[in-house]
Amino acid sequence: MIGLLLDVATTAAILFVVAAGLLITFGVLKIINFAHGGFLTVGGYAALVVTQAGGSPWLAAPAAFVAGVVLGAAVERVIVRPLYSRPLDAILATWGLGIVIVQLITLAFGRGTNFVPSPVSGAVAAFGTDYSAWRLIMLVVAVLLAAALAALLQGTRLGLEARAVIMNEELAQGLGIDSTRVRFVTFALGAGLAAFAGALITPLLSVDPLMGVPWLLNAFMLVLVSGTSLASLGLASLLLGGAQVVISTYGNPVLGALSIVVLAAVLLRIRPAGFARG
Amino acid sequence: MARTPLLRGGVAVAIAAALVLAAPLALDQYAISILIRSFLFGAIAVTVDILWGYCGVLSFGQATYFGIGAYAFGLAVTQIGLSPGVALGALAAGCAVSALVAWLIAWLGFGPRVTPLYISVITLVEAVIFVQLIYSGGDFTGSSSGLSGFDTFDVSMEGWFRIAGLFLLAAVVLGAILVRSDAGRLLVAIRENEQRCRYCGIATARVKGVLLAGAAVIAALAGYAYAGYTDVIAPDLGNFQFGTELVIWVALGGRGTLYGPAAAAVLIDYASAYLGGTLPFIWQLIVGLVFIVVIVLMPQGIGPAVASLARRRPRAVAPPALATVADAEVGGDAAKPAIAVAGLSRHYGSLRVLDGIDFTARAGELVSLVGPNGAGKTTLIRCLSDGAERSGGSVAIEGTPIGRAAPEACVRLGLGRKFQAPNVFETLTVADALRIARARQERLSPWRRAQSIALPAAARLVLQATGLEDALATEVRHLSHGAKQALELAMVLAMQPRVLLLDEPTAGLTKGERTLIGGILTDLVRRHGLCILLVEHDLEFVREISSRIIVLHQGRILLDGSVAEVTGSELVRSIYTGTPEPAAA
Repeated sequence: MIGLLLDVATTAAILFVVAAGLLITFGVLKIINFAHGGFLTVGGYAALVVTQAGGSPWLAAPAAFVAGVVLGAAVERVIVRPLYSRPLDAILATWGLGIVIVQLITLAFGRGTNFVPSPVSGAVAAFGTDYSAWRLIMLVVAVLLAAALAALLQGTRLGLEARAVIMNEELAQGLGIDSTRVRFVTFALGAGLAAFAGALITPLLSVDPLMGVPWLLNAFMLVLVSGTSLASLGLASLLLGGAQVVISTYGNPVLGALSIVVLAAVLLRIRPAGFARG
Repeated sequence: MARTPLLRGGVAVAIAAALVLAAPLALDQYAISILIRSFLFGAIAVTVDILWGYCGVLSFGQATYFGIGAYAFGLAVTQIGLSPGVALGALAAGCAVSALVAWLIAWLGFGPRVTPLYISVITLVEAVIFVQLIYSGGDFTGSSSGLSGFDTFDVSMEGWFRIAGLFLLAAVVLGAILVRSDAGRLLVAIRENEQRCRYCGIATARVKGVLLAGAAVIAALAGYAYAGYTDVIAPDLGNFQFGTELVIWVALGGRGTLYGPAAAAVLIDYASAYLGGTLPFIWQLIVGLVFIVVIVLMPQGIGPAVASLARRRPRAVAPPALATVADAEVGGDAAKPAIAVAGLSRHYGSLRVLDGIDFTARAGELVSLVGPNGAGKTTLIRCLSDGAERSGGSVAIEGTPIGRAAPEACVRLGLGRKFQAPNVFETLTVADALRIARARQERLSPWRRAQSIALPAAARLVLQATGLEDALATEVRHLSHGAKQALELAMVLAMQPRVLLLDEPTAGLTKGERTLIGGILTDLVRRHGLCILLVEHDLEFVREISSRIIVLHQGRILLDGSVAEVTGSELVRSIYTGTPEPAAA
């Protein structure tokens, strides 16, 4: 029972970390970034490069974050910004970008599967049971990330501006907020977070060019049901991730793999606002 | 106007068909084998274009119906064996299952209050579920490796080439006939302004559902042929990667052109077969990069860009003639009030925009709704024309309660609504917009364009008075603000409503035009027994044409009386001028 609860909590934590970058991009730019899966893969390979070059596995995630931010900044400037007035086209363009990223990685690293060493290994005794140490660390990371993002949004000038743009972009512009800059920073940060998440999941899963695809769809559905609120994303990750764990454990693994997308789709049909605002 | 283009089109189709039939003689076996697949993909790309390019429904699920059609053939033959009966049964089953799934997707995706992005989401989910179902089918579906080597039709490669080529040609030709017809204009109208379509009484969700189901059947047919030809079925025929590839081809070829997506699908798939083998990742990379460049720099796609180099603007189509329909006796049932509102309220959270609204209006009355900005006038109009809007109370149109009915159902009760800001179809011509407004009275043909539009006299008077009659072939987006207002009014009148809700119908019109429209409105009320509820700021105009005035203030009815009563009221004057009421002073 404790094991199941830990599975639910850590699965939710991983989902939250993976989807957080997508959520802030969606909130500020009002587009779903389909290159999120690609950025996630970039993070996985950044971890691979760091550890193969002899760096500490602990450095993998920070390095991936930096790589993601740089890549995201370039992408925003070249692809996303010109499509500001055409949000649906922007979504399609990020889809194309996802394809390009996967093909570039395949060209550079090949199609094979790689493994990245974990900073910690094995299981530790927790709450009276032995549990994967890295999954527990992910739980801590998710909480810290949520706190950091909340602090950024609530406590800084940039966060204030971002919240203003999320609520009413035209009004924010009228008040002298440089929404172009807010969009730029947010997209870069979102890409950084995607790569960060990609590096963080490498101790659990192998690294290959298509590693981002399954995550993309789950993160996408979680963001759609969460709207623009980090708290809603936390709740959605816990409930839908929990459903996934329970269905996979007691039911059928195939149904489990589908549970997030199906439940989210049904929820959106019944309640288009999803978990947002109540 | 019909003769020459029709002839030219017929000749083009005949030449294309002849090329398809003759091509196997000139092509090598490898090219033939690849082109069969490319043609089938091209046909699905055409359906994606009709859905997305014309009707604005971005679906990633067309691949799934292709997969369903392919599995219908593969599974039937593997399980039962090949016979003409089984082949036909599998064909029918594949089409039926696809249509049913599409109908379910439409029910989910086009429901009330569902965001437009949702249909794209749900079609992605659909594809994921399809693949997982195949995976979990074990030996029955062949799981991830699929099934192959089953018995199939005894058709030569050349035969399949001709079948697939003619199938693609048929998809393009039928698609072209559809999008050029009156019903095809409706698809564009839905893309442009679905709300206005619904307020023309058109059940847009049903139209889109039928379109989705039709497109699903065509994709299933292509999948069936693909399985019959290749003798292989695999889960990736129906996955969302293929679904998105189709969308990419459509965007590259030029959405909303039909020939562009068909050509792009055939060319890219054909090139993939040659280059994908030798340079698989580079080729994918190039397609991805070109896709991004096209989306950013030429959103119309490559097809239209090339075409615009080759020829000038298409000739203007001659506008249809206008005719007048006899005015139906719309007097209505005088015993029942045209509008009856009881205890109506509307609140957003704790903010009460309307509260305790009670009034009735009868046929032959022109009731003006006045009040300062923020009084709740437009909200009231919205609550009368969309059952889902109000928070409490009841609304009945000619004695029938609207319940929670959608706008299109309210319109069928005899309601017509003119919006505050002009709410029209920007890329349609004036004539097409009027035809859409008449869709409930005169069915829109899915294969031809009507030569004339019959309008009620009142709508024609508005068109005459504002000069729109000479601008029937003009695209609406080129009209001035005032002309758009007049067009929307004409569209609403064309629907021959018995209860008319007009939200500032003359804003943006000249003084002369206002007087004229005022005359038309009073004539409709007096001679034809309409009931009109009018929101207006111009009190002079209100005084001239109203039979009764309701004053709304802070979400409540302050006064409901004759013109003399209201205009003489000290209270009303104080609200408008902001001077304190005598009692309060």
